[in-house]
Amino acid sequence: MPTRELASRIDRIVQLLQRVVIFAVLWWVIAEADPDGWLFGVPFVALAVVASLGLTPSRTWRIDPPGALKYAWYFVTQSFLGGIDVALRAIRPSLPLDPMIVRYRMRLAPEHARVLFADTVSLLPGTLSTGFEDDSLTLHVLDCELPIEQSLRDVEERVAGVFGLTLSSEGGDLRVCETLTGDECE
Amino acid sequence: MIDAISIALIIVGALFFLAGSAGVLRFPDVYTRLHALTKADNLGLGFVVLGLSLRADSWVVVLKMLIIWALVIVAGATAGHLVAEAARTSHVVPWRRRS
Repeated sequence: MPTRELASRIDRIVQLLQRVVIFAVLWWVIAEADPDGWLFGVPFVALAVVASLGLTPSRTWRIDPPGALKYAWYFVTQSFLGGIDVALRAIRPSLPLDPMIVRYRMRLAPEHARVLFADTVSLLPGTLSTGFEDDSLTLHVLDCELPIEQSLRDVEERVAGVFGLTLSSEGGDLRVCETLTGDECE
Repeated sequence: MIDAISIALIIVGALFFLAGSAGVLRFPDVYTRLHALTKADNLGLGFVVLGLSLRADSWVVVLKMLIIWALVIVAGATAGHLVAEAARTSHVVPWRRRS
């Protein structure tokens, strides 16, 4: 057997085992280590592994622990502020909303980093990601007074840190859009 | 003492759920409502998990609640993105404040 084929077969087995272990540990904790839980656990772990291999056949990223810790701290503080911001807007009688749509050109290239970026942005104060288009992420912003360009750049840098990536020098800027789907952006 | 802190945290969590629900009812369109749902409820669940962790019998239970919190955060943010994208691609026009 050629070595390259052997290496890719070993890689696939490692990917499979990693995911079996991750999902089994998740189930084990959720079932509070109850042995009867495996009656449901085994089929669901198997389904989760199949779904995960179907969606992302091979994991191509690695996680940089110090970067991940920095991201985690930033995420906790910012999502705390995000929750307080939207809660206050929801209960104030004046309903202080002034929404706008913006398109942000991402400096992150890999798909997994973009997904983490979009999910993170949705939990920060006043921004909600509403889909990718080429290299841009379209966002709904609760209040056009919010300083979102700087916070988007900050999030992007922290997401890059999680995966040990360098950001592209292109992008990192924001355009305000007239409509959600058209290209009428300033 | 621990009970008092725990109860206070759970009440704070409940207040965030209340504010999130107020947002869903009061905000004018699907996009603004998604903001209220994803952000306020995640924070509310976080406070409830912290409050319950102080009263938990074992570390496995604390770990379980933290995992559930993390899974809800990921699922909530992703579902919010997908609902917003579905609304956007079916041309749901966002509400604007008249100026």
